[in-house]
Amino acid sequence: MLDSTVLTGHHEHSGTTTRMPDRMTISAESAEPHIRTGQWEDALTFVALHADKSAYAELFNYFAPRLKAFGMKMFGNEQQALEMVQDTMLNVWKKARLFDPSRGCASTWIFTIARNVRFDMLRKKQSRKDDISADDLWADGDYPELEESATDQWETMLLSEKLAPFFDALPVAQRLVMQKVYLEEKSHQEVAEELDIPLGTVKSRIRLALDRLREALDDTRS
Amino acid sequence: MTHAVKYHPGMMLMEQYVAGTLSADVALAVATHIDLCPHCQRVCQDIHNDQADVLASMPLEQDDTDDFSALLAEITGQPQLDKPRQKAARELVKVQINGREFAIPRALSRLAEQQGKWLQLGGIATAKLPAGDKMHVSLLYIDKGTEIPNHTHLGLEMTLVLSGTICDENGEYGAGDLLINTPADTHTPHTRADEDCLCLSVLSAPLKFNKGLVRLLNPLQQFFY
Repeated sequence: MLDSTVLTGHHEHSGTTTRMPDRMTISAESAEPHIRTGQWEDALTFVALHADKSAYAELFNYFAPRLKAFGMKMFGNEQQALEMVQDTMLNVWKKARLFDPSRGCASTWIFTIARNVRFDMLRKKQSRKDDISADDLWADGDYPELEESATDQWETMLLSEKLAPFFDALPVAQRLVMQKVYLEEKSHQEVAEELDIPLGTVKSRIRLALDRLREALDDTRS
Repeated sequence: MTHAVKYHPGMMLMEQYVAGTLSADVALAVATHIDLCPHCQRVCQDIHNDQADVLASMPLEQDDTDDFSALLAEITGQPQLDKPRQKAARELVKVQINGREFAIPRALSRLAEQQGKWLQLGGIATAKLPAGDKMHVSLLYIDKGTEIPNHTHLGLEMTLVLSGTICDENGEYGAGDLLINTPADTHTPHTRADEDCLCLSVLSAPLKFNKGLVRLLNPLQQFFY
């Protein structure tokens, strides 16, 4: 564990697809948890893969109060600040699968969602429906347009991120199922038929594999 | 595209654009410039990262003790979007004028689909985009070998070249170049003899024509606004 109190190194690799396990810590004086680069990206990945509520809660507990403070600065009004927190964090949950770590870090993604929510809130208040929207202004806002196929995305995510070695280390049977579901985007039913195994087995292998991946990543965190 | 963009929005404009604090129509000109300018795309990404850092390292007040647990439960009780939305790569929007067809950058596509009628006067044509705040946003087409009479700006004039080249006393501007003129600036823009030009024009006030007979155009200034 590091005792440093400075937020550092977070964006050195933005714009590239490699993500070194640099360390980053956040303000120890307010007894914040130590945070490593990659933690939020991992958390979002779990939210995306498995609707993982505890990974989401980690993200939420960190970002919701900061978004509120940010919103207070921008709006000077608590009700609007809270509305922004709510809309932003709801989008983070719902759109987690749109997050693409090769395009930037999790905090940047969350920032752009908050900025767009805020922009559209102000436009709506001025009751302009038809004209310029956040989607027009910021191409990468919350990735409104996806050109890569989902398969490419998961491939990128799995292979370029640190999940890859753990993915390879999965027992063969689990890896095969994971590959078909997440890389080839097959339904659980299709995989069951292809491998001639019960649907329940497909589901339990996915659960086991996800647990293993989660455990492996947890180990690298502590 | 062989033309290297030479005229960029200043850093302050870029920062306010990323923060979302620019007025929407000025932001539209900046967004369109970024679509056409790889350099500013990188700058823009860096500013996003910077501002996200400010958010992520926002200090919390001691009395910030909101209880967000109800909100957390409510959110995780909602369904996630099942799969990434698969939007087919959007077809480029094109506009037609004077027998020519121009591809429109992403930031303008939705608005260009709702463009107003082209109004033509000599070699010049304008079509309003439904994006008005305080500014007037329009597409401005200038035929080859055409001069826009010398004029002063009563307000802020932003012109972004979308296609072709436009020249004035200060230089030449090609696709992606952003010109910003204030009330202090007077100019006589013109196209080349062999090339027409399409621009995005954002005006905060009408133009005022300065010289000779074209002062008769002043009653028509609404045409450009």
